[in-house]
Amino acid sequence: MRILLLLLLLSSAAVAQNQAATPAAITTGSGFVGSNACKTCHADMWMNFNKNPHYKSIASGKDPEDKTGCEGCHGPAAKHVAAGGGKTTIPRAFSLLTPKQALDTCLGCHARDLARSNIQRSEHTKNDVACVSCHSIHHSTTPKYLLAKKQNELCYTCHATVRAQFSMPSKHRVNEGFMQCSDCHNPHGSFDATWKMGQKPRMMEQALNTESPCIKCHTDKRGPFVFEHAPVRVEGCETCHSPHGSMNAKLLRRPVVFTVCLECHNGAPGFGTRDATQGVPLQTSKHNMLDPKFQKCTTCHVQVHGSNSDPYFLR
Amino acid sequence: MTTRLWIIFAAIGTLAAQQVVAPTPETVGAARGENYGNYNITNSFEFGYRWSLVGGNEGEYRSAVNYRNGLRLLGSSFSIDSKDGHGHYFDQILLNTMGLGNDPYQSATLRIQKNGLYRYDMNWRSNDYFNPGLTVAGGLHRMDTERRLQDHDLTLFPQGKFRVRAGYSRNVQDGPTLATSLELDNNSTNSSGLPVFADLRREWNEYRLGADADVAGFKLTLLHRWDFFKEDTPYSAFPGSSAAFIGIPNDLTALQQFAKSVPVHGRNPGWLATLMTNRQRWAVNARFSYTDGHNNFALSESAGGISRFGGAATRQIAVTGDADRPMIAGDFNFTAQPTSRLTVVNNTSVNNVRISGPSSYTDVQNGFNTGQTIYFRYLGIRTVTNSTDANFRVKDWVSFYAGYRYTNRLVRSIEEFSLPGTASSAVSDTYENTNMLHSGTVGVRFRPVKNLTANLEAEIARADHPLTPVSDRNYHSINGRIAYRTRKLQLSTSYKQVYNVNAPDAFSAYSSHSRNYSANASWAPKDWFALDTSYMKLHLDTVGGIAYFAGSGRATLQRNVSLYTSNVHAGNFGAHFMLAKRADLYTGYTITRDTGDGRATASQGVADPVNALFVSAQTFPLSYQSPLARLSVRITPKLRWNAGWQFYNYHEDFGIFGYYQNFHAHTGYTSLSWAF
Repeated sequence: MRILLLLLLLSSAAVAQNQAATPAAITTGSGFVGSNACKTCHADMWMNFNKNPHYKSIASGKDPEDKTGCEGCHGPAAKHVAAGGGKTTIPRAFSLLTPKQALDTCLGCHARDLARSNIQRSEHTKNDVACVSCHSIHHSTTPKYLLAKKQNELCYTCHATVRAQFSMPSKHRVNEGFMQCSDCHNPHGSFDATWKMGQKPRMMEQALNTESPCIKCHTDKRGPFVFEHAPVRVEGCETCHSPHGSMNAKLLRRPVVFTVCLECHNGAPGFGTRDATQGVPLQTSKHNMLDPKFQKCTTCHVQVHGSNSDPYFLR
Repeated sequence: MTTRLWIIFAAIGTLAAQQVVAPTPETVGAARGENYGNYNITNSFEFGYRWSLVGGNEGEYRSAVNYRNGLRLLGSSFSIDSKDGHGHYFDQILLNTMGLGNDPYQSATLRIQKNGLYRYDMNWRSNDYFNPGLTVAGGLHRMDTERRLQDHDLTLFPQGKFRVRAGYSRNVQDGPTLATSLELDNNSTNSSGLPVFADLRREWNEYRLGADADVAGFKLTLLHRWDFFKEDTPYSAFPGSSAAFIGIPNDLTALQQFAKSVPVHGRNPGWLATLMTNRQRWAVNARFSYTDGHNNFALSESAGGISRFGGAATRQIAVTGDADRPMIAGDFNFTAQPTSRLTVVNNTSVNNVRISGPSSYTDVQNGFNTGQTIYFRYLGIRTVTNSTDANFRVKDWVSFYAGYRYTNRLVRSIEEFSLPGTASSAVSDTYENTNMLHSGTVGVRFRPVKNLTANLEAEIARADHPLTPVSDRNYHSINGRIAYRTRKLQLSTSYKQVYNVNAPDAFSAYSSHSRNYSANASWAPKDWFALDTSYMKLHLDTVGGIAYFAGSGRATLQRNVSLYTSNVHAGNFGAHFMLAKRADLYTGYTITRDTGDGRATASQGVADPVNALFVSAQTFPLSYQSPLARLSVRITPKLRWNAGWQFYNYHEDFGIFGYYQNFHAHTGYTSLSWAF
């Protein structure tokens, strides 16, 4: 068997491109054989591996053997080599690992990235969506983040209803390629949003340290304003808008503006920033809703997101 | 085993869920690239002509689609990699572009790095944004602007124990808009929002500098950022701007002269510090952030024309002031993994925002100075959250998780104003609103048989004092998903419901019911043939109490119920064929249709004008569909010819206020893809 393996190693050496073949695996006491042993059989994996971000550790030559090359991820390969191959002899064959095991393996190196610091409590981890669910180390379509597919296609695979929202007439331009899901979301989990409460919204990529991702593009809505529209700051843009997409103009939650406004501005006690008896202010008696000009709230209340000049957002 | 299934489904990627016809996904050139010295190069460029033929409402087309005619570099990808990871100046350059040349959505991403020494990332994007004028705002508020975003990040020693980070981001939006200004009467309810021109000019710049260090198994990060916002939009008169122009009867108001300037200059310096460690049995990560927001602003407005009664009228308004917003956020996250099957995470978050500032407002009407009003406003939000999540894998095929979260939020506001020169005019009111929310989550995931996975999650929450009548109060959600995945066939279905009841009293009773369903199937039986199809239904109904004034003569208070029902049915279909290993044909179809609440007419025949108005706003049925076809033919290994067609059809069943924005458009392109 060992002779066969040696022949196999020698015969496949010619396939390895630009690298001198290693005729025999050098096994250390810990069971590591080095990447040169792997490439003789797995030449297809090795051919373009110099383009893979994980190649950096091989190139540096400074990392310990359990943190570099094929065995940095797959574990010591001495048994695998001795057995002449076979998945079950690979200590960490990702196709056989549970999601938790795969996650722990990747975090062995990638835990120090702030973007992944909340991965243990992320919705994806809870639902067994581990690293290899989205990333393909050896067959990625995106060299930068090694994604298995283009990002939005990857997300749509599970989030089909979001796909429908991005197909609506009023939407953020994700399908068109202008935006990515990760502009607003962190698929690795995130710190608690500083707006709203509870577990919604989830997995938001906070902009400018701790703020809603909306204001990274919509900078004019950020303020601070002397006259803040409190729900915008406290509950977030989703109070009035559907961020992925909407059948209504301007991503609004209702087809006409006055219903968006009146559902809150009804004077019902117990709501709003004022005391319990006042509620969210009711419009004045001079706003006759039968007059067309009062049916179009934002024609006059132009600074509805917040104003520096007028408490009623008129300027 | 679950992981294996995921790998299969992720890697084979039967079909692209492509919604726009170009750029062409098929690339040219050798997949492994070509060697030049110590580097390997791959490249693919697609250059062609895009066209569009639009019928119906072109403004709505530009708002929803916006592709137009012209030559484009539709897409490109370029990479150069050192073969041994020891390039002289760099080890990798990656460049990808899309839509360059004048597409409404353009982007370019660039990465240059040398292993161990530096990594530079650039992302540039441009969006040609067109808003045809909100029909619900009388067709006003048009925008034809361009937004350009760019991000630059440089990391020194990216693989080292000490890393230096520097970055720069910029966001610019400019272009003509049609805004409105409330003129000319001093009483806002007698004035009208009349159209005015605005030449929008906004820009935001951010600079970042920081460092990471790995010390004794902990990673420390310190980042300082400075960002600057500036808006200097000048406003000017719109010829013919009058109440009659926007359809307001019995009002002679005409705006003949108008100039307004509203400069706002802001700065937001901030700090971010983080601490992380990940050990075998436990992990910690903590974050602290401080941002000191500040805006200086002024407003100068001058208007002249005819008042609503036909007399000459003028108005000048001056505003000055500034606003501050210090913001602190802190998080501490502890993860314990006492066994390989159990993970427990506790998180505590605190954030505090204080927004305050004075604003001085002076109004001069028809030469008469009505005086100055000085306002001071304060809005403070302090939120404290603690949550604990436990995730337990009973067997490799079944796991449970559960979580509990408590949040306490205090919203404090102070409303002050005074009239200088008027004795005892100062008013100051302080209000507080505290909301406590308890929420619990449970979930299970299992794999009853090979290739089949299922997840079920439920959440229930109770809040005692939500901010608005439409906020979450007593809500629950149920979320389930089943997937069957093999190499050639993938089937999945999901269901999610979110019910929220917010009913402090009978009058303002509010409830919402959202139910989403989806079903997907992908089948790739052969290398040359793949199918992908999905169906989604998104149901939403809400009931809310509203109050308003209305009446044929004198307006009186009306209390009513606002109903809204939306039933969106969405479908996607795509088929990919490879013909004689030389050509790729893709056909697809997407439809999104809101059937509303099933009624036949907008007002449902309600005669009373007030009720008819609100009934017509309860639903908005429309359909939006788009078939497409694309052919890509390989002429040589380094050259392909591509052509595609995509049709858009937007159809409103009722319109809003009787105004329809329907359009249909044929778009397409032809291009050559080549590699050199």
